[in-house]
Parts: sequence; C-alpha cells; structure tokens
Amino acid sequence: MQLATAALLLMATTVAACGDGQDNDAKASAPKAPATIPELTKDPLTLSFIWFEWPPAQALEAFANEEYKKVRPNATIKVNTVPNANWHDAMFTQFAAHKTDFDIAILDSQHIGEAVTNGNILDLTDFVKNNIDVAAYNPYLLAAYGQFPQAETGRRDENASLYGLPLLGDTWTMIYRKDLIGDKPPQTWDEMISAAEKCQADNPGVSGLSFHQANGSDAAAVTYNTVNGIYGGNLWDAKTRKIDGVMNDAAGQEAMDVLVNKMKPLTAKGSGNWFIDEVNASVAQGKACIAFNWIAASGGLLDPKESTLGKTREQILDKLGFATLPTQKTNLVPLGGMGMHVSAYSSAANQAEALNFMKWFEQPDIQKKWAAAGGVPSRTDALESPEFLNAGPFNKVYADSVPRMRDMWNVPEYARLVDIENTNVNAALNGAKKPKEALDDIAKEQQSVLDSGSRKGGGGL
Amino acid sequence: MSDTVPLTTDNPGPVASATPPARGRSRWLSDRRLAVAFIAPALLLLLAMSVFPLLWALYLSFTDYSATRGGPAHFVWFENYTAILTSAQVHLRALTTLIYVVGAVVLQTVLGFTIAYLISRRTHGRGLLTTLFLVPMMLSPVVVGLFWRFMLDAQFGVINSILGSLGLGQVEWLTQQRTALISLIVVDTWQWTPFIMLIALAGLTAVPKYLYEAASIDRASEWFRFRTITLPLVWPLLLIAVLFRAIEAFRLFDLVYILTNGGPGVSTETLSFHVYKVAFLGFNTGTASAYGILMVLVVIVLTQLYLRYLNKLKED
Repeated sequence: MQLATAALLLMATTVAACGDGQDNDAKASAPKAPATIPELTKDPLTLSFIWFEWPPAQALEAFANEEYKKVRPNATIKVNTVPNANWHDAMFTQFAAHKTDFDIAILDSQHIGEAVTNGNILDLTDFVKNNIDVAAYNPYLLAAYGQFPQAETGRRDENASLYGLPLLGDTWTMIYRKDLIGDKPPQTWDEMISAAEKCQADNPGVSGLSFHQANGSDAAAVTYNTVNGIYGGNLWDAKTRKIDGVMNDAAGQEAMDVLVNKMKPLTAKGSGNWFIDEVNASVAQGKACIAFNWIAASGGLLDPKESTLGKTREQILDKLGFATLPTQKTNLVPLGGMGMHVSAYSSAANQAEALNFMKWFEQPDIQKKWAAAGGVPSRTDALESPEFLNAGPFNKVYADSVPRMRDMWNVPEYARLVDIENTNVNAALNGAKKPKEALDDIAKEQQSVLDSGSRKGGGGL
Repeated sequence: MSDTVPLTTDNPGPVASATPPARGRSRWLSDRRLAVAFIAPALLLLLAMSVFPLLWALYLSFTDYSATRGGPAHFVWFENYTAILTSAQVHLRALTTLIYVVGAVVLQTVLGFTIAYLISRRTHGRGLLTTLFLVPMMLSPVVVGLFWRFMLDAQFGVINSILGSLGLGQVEWLTQQRTALISLIVVDTWQWTPFIMLIALAGLTAVPKYLYEAASIDRASEWFRFRTITLPLVWPLLLIAVLFRAIEAFRLFDLVYILTNGGPGVSTETLSFHVYKVAFLGFNTGTASAYGILMVLVVIVLTQLYLRYLNKLKED
C-alpha cells in the first residue's frame, strides 16, 4: 500500500514535470529586446559575462570596469570564464535550465543558431535599428556575430534578424621565424610548406610547422577547414544542406592530403593534441619555424618573460614575423571571434544594463580604446585607427584579413557537426584513420546529423 | 603494596534527588510513528536526489525529449534503446571500455595484492608505508589527470625526458591509438592500486597466525602456505575490492576528459564519455537517458552475477 502511494506520488511529480515541458514549447523562439533602452537602475548591479579562459577575457573585464564605470558607476563587470572545452556546455546547460548566472553570453558565431532556435537569447533587431550605426561595420562582420539564419560568406542580409553584436574579431595569423626563413613571408601555401621543410632540415630540434590538432573544442576542425578553403573546397552547400559529396569532393580530398601527408610530417612528435597554448609555447621556446594561431591569443608571444627568443619585445620582434595566411587556390581565412548576446533568462534590470553596455561598447571612441587595450574591434573606423594598428604587430594582419574571411556552419546542430569533424581530423592527423576514410566519414556522419530531424529516437549517437 | 580496591562500599553516597519520573510519551507518538519521523528526512532526501532522478531518466529514455529544445516529450517507446544497442559507435565505445576495465582492474589487483603482501610481512614501518601508498588515492582525478598529462607530454614531459636520458626514443603517449589507452590504464592504476592494496592488507592481517604456525610445524613451503592459507582466506575480500574497482572503471569519465579527450579520434572514448557527448553536445536527453539506464542495467546484472559467485564461494 505504502509502496503504491509512493509510486503514485512519483508519477504525479513526473506528470507535473512533463506539463512544464509543454509550457516551454510555446516560448521556443527568441524573445525580442526593446527597441530603446529601458530605464536603468540606480542600485549597485553586477553585469556578468561568460567566456572561456584566455587573455582577452581578462582584458575585457579590466577594460570594461575601468571605462564603463565612468558612465555607470553603480555597475560592476564580471567576466566568468570556463575552460575552452567546457564553453558550449557551460552556456547551454544553463540555457536548458532556463536560469543563467550570466547576463551576456559571449557566443561563438556558430552557436547563434542553437541559441536562437531554443529561444535562449534576445532578438536585437529593433534595438540595433535604433541604437547602432550599422553602416560603420563591415557588413559580414556584423552578420557573422549576430545574424541568423547564417549570412552567405562575405555578405549580410539586411532583412535577417540580428541576435548579437561584435565583441572581438579574430582570424588566424601566420607566425614565422624571420631569422630562420627570411623577412619575407611565404606567399602561397606550397611555398610555406617548402620553407617549413627547409627550415626543419637546416635547424635540428626545430619543427617546420606548429598548428592546432587537438580533438577538443574546434581545434583540428578549424585547421582542416582553413586548408579546405585555401585549396578551393567547401564545407557544405548551405542552400541544399548538402555536405556529403561537397566536403569530400576532389578539392576537399586534396586539402586533407596536404594537411596529413605534407603538413603533419613537419610538426613536432606528439603534437597531435596541441591547441592554442601549446602552439604558442612552441613558438615562444623557439621550437617552430612557422606556426598558425588565433590573433587574439598571440599577445603573449611578445612577452619577454614567456619567451626564449629575446629579452625585450624588440628582440623578439627581430625574430618573429606575423603575416596573413598564404594563398593557394583561394585566399580564404577562418573567421574567429565572438559576439555579445543577451540571456533571455536574465533579470529585466540586468537585460537593460546589458543593452546599455552594448550600445556604449559599439561607440567609435570606445572601440578605439578597446583596440588599444588589446581587443580586436569590428567597426571599420576602429580597425583603420592608429590605436588598433599600432597596438600589436598582428593587428594589421587582422585588418587585411577581414575581406577574406569564411565561417563554418551556423546551425542548431553545430556542436555535433564540429565534434564529428574534430574527432575525424584528429584521427587522420594521428594515424588512427586514413585521410580519405576520415574525410568520407566526416561527410557521411555530418550529413546524417543534418538529415535526421531533432525529434527522433536514438538522436545524437 | 597498594590496598585493594573494595568492590562494594558501605557509603551509599549522596542520596538521589527525588526527581519525578519522565512524562509518558504522547499516545499519538507511537514507536512506529517515531521511527517514521526519524527516517523521513533521509528517506525524502533519497527519494528526491536518487529515486526520482532515476525514474525521471527512465521516463525520458522512452521519449525524444531534449533539454535545450524544450517542447513536449513525444513517446518513441524503445526506439532509443534499439538505436543504442544496434549502433556501431556504441559497440566501439563498449569495446574500448571493456579493454580499459579489464586492463586496469587486473593490473591494479595484481599490483595491489603484491604490495599488500609485501607490507604485511614487514614488522617495522608498516603504518608509514601504508600511508605513503595511499596518497594517490586521496588526490582529485582532475589533478591526477593534469599532472600526468604534463608528465606524459611527448615534447616537454618528464617521462620522455627520462627515456631520452636512457638512450630510448620518444613515445607519443597520448596521441597514438595504442599508447593512449595504455596511458589511461597506467594512470588509473597509479591512482587506484592503493585501494586494492588497502582491502587486501585488511584481509591479510585478519588471517589467523596459528594457521601459519601449524604450517611451519609441518614444514610447509612458503608457496604452499600462500596457496593454501593466504590466498583462499583473502580471496573473497579481494573480490569485493575488484567489484568496486570494476564498477568505478566502467563509468570512467574524468581521466579521459583531461588526458586524451577521447582521442586520438575516438579511440579512448569510453561509454561514459560518449553519454556525455550525446547529452551535452546535441542535448539529445532522451537518448542519453536510455544510454545511462542501459549502463546501470549492465552494472546491476554483472554485480548480481558476481555476488552470486561470492556467495557460492562463501558457502563452499
């Protein structure tokens, strides 16, 4: 009898919990942010961000607390960080709970689709129309960090909704040893491989290349996508949502062959799990002739305390050069960076503060100050400003790379697509799969993810 | 010579104060109700934290529910279970997990028992040695994973540095298919051998000494004593330790996450790691729930078989 009562109680709780799920269905689209900023609170308030742990996160917190406090003394900025590999999970598990401990989510451009579809972030379209000078931006940068559905490469659809505003632009830079391969950077991908090969042969103990190969986050996937773009490949046909037959076409296979059979042999032994920090360490310790890394993560390379290449910044710069990526069949480079997005579950006062912060942050003088503080702005005037161009030797690389950028897929299935690509490229790089087999597996498995609706038994395997 | 202490005394001591007898318990508060009142908090906590989530997961496992997409959960009945049991991806992870569990538990049992046997034969410093051996077990698996990751790094790690100084070549511990799984087994063994050692030591110290004395009188060899006295008496306790370790190893997640992230490719992805990906990358909550329920079932069935064997051993 008692057992039956307990079972009934549990059943009732379960049914009640199911009812909650039905309520959620009605709100499964992004709620709209107000077109104008609501009245801000005069009480002390903490505006929280969530990002992953890397130097720009600390730079943002320090910069925002110093500058934003001048206009809003009662507001404190807190940038919460998690390890890069937990970044997506940390945000989306909170979104799933419909309760977030952050007000502004710093999403990767490819996370936007998932967050919009689930109704996790505010629709900023009306807010942007009234408060942001969109003409001041390169249209593709504005689209990449805010638009959904995804923009075509290099364009912005002015009729599409915007769900975010740029926070930090980024792309890959080629880092090369001027003292080992000469002042002039290689211009083509083939030249780059030859230069790395020669440098490695001439300098025992120094590897020709250093790049991201890890199977966590999007490390190995971005590396393959970069080579794929440079060799004229495509990741998918966005209109028909076709991957199988597109990614693994002749250009895709050539890219995989170049990556695994020409580039990988020039890397250090055991570098198959390297990501941002390991690549930077190899450069700083003088163990790599040519390396590829995100610009926003390259600042530490010029710190004499972390480098064996020189005792001063100037000495290091005598040995290190920064250049845009070499071209081959195309001149495409990977789009990195992130935008700011307002959590739909934040309190009204914090959402208002978040909108005010975003409006403040996108002003021309603040963007220039952000550039001087180590950030990578997205406004064209800030990108062309001496504050930005003189702040670091790699900033000109970014400015020159903006018209060449290409992004991955910004779809709700992104997390699974990138995991499939990451694990397979990592397997190919570490000899666990043959390059062609890995590429075909990526195309087949990703296609199956796109084809299977989200509502089906066994989804996610 | 001291006086003997009298067992009784003529002095009755201070007269007990005339306190009234304790009030009788309310008739409403019967023994049964009192018992319920005492166990209710623990029971409610257990129901809320363990039983309800398990039943909730069981319910979700028959649906296509997604925690992030929300919306109503549609019943798909056994589709999730069928998909999991027929998935080549799951079979691959099951094989990896099996190799890992067998490798790690066998190694830990052999080493743990050997160390315990050697310690039990010492008369001096046994406590200190035991404490020192237990240190790895006290550390967080994340900390253990991180420092082993540094030590096993092919370029900068101390292990390869030692191998280099011995004139041996570099080994890619974490980035090659075979060595990555072996590295996981070695690190897990480093951390959890002390657990087996501790249980085995308890068993070894409980073996009655007179059995060894009798064997000595019969001039039994060391090996004979070990085979006919030590091992049979310690064996049941050792098997319980093996059971605990096998269950722990079966649900390994943290070391994989830190050391290899499942790589190279997916070659060190265990079942738990795969469930994590299904649950939190695609947020396929229904499938992940079914996956978790199946893992619980496997553990329950294997544990039952194991316990029956233990009982049989006890009866024999």
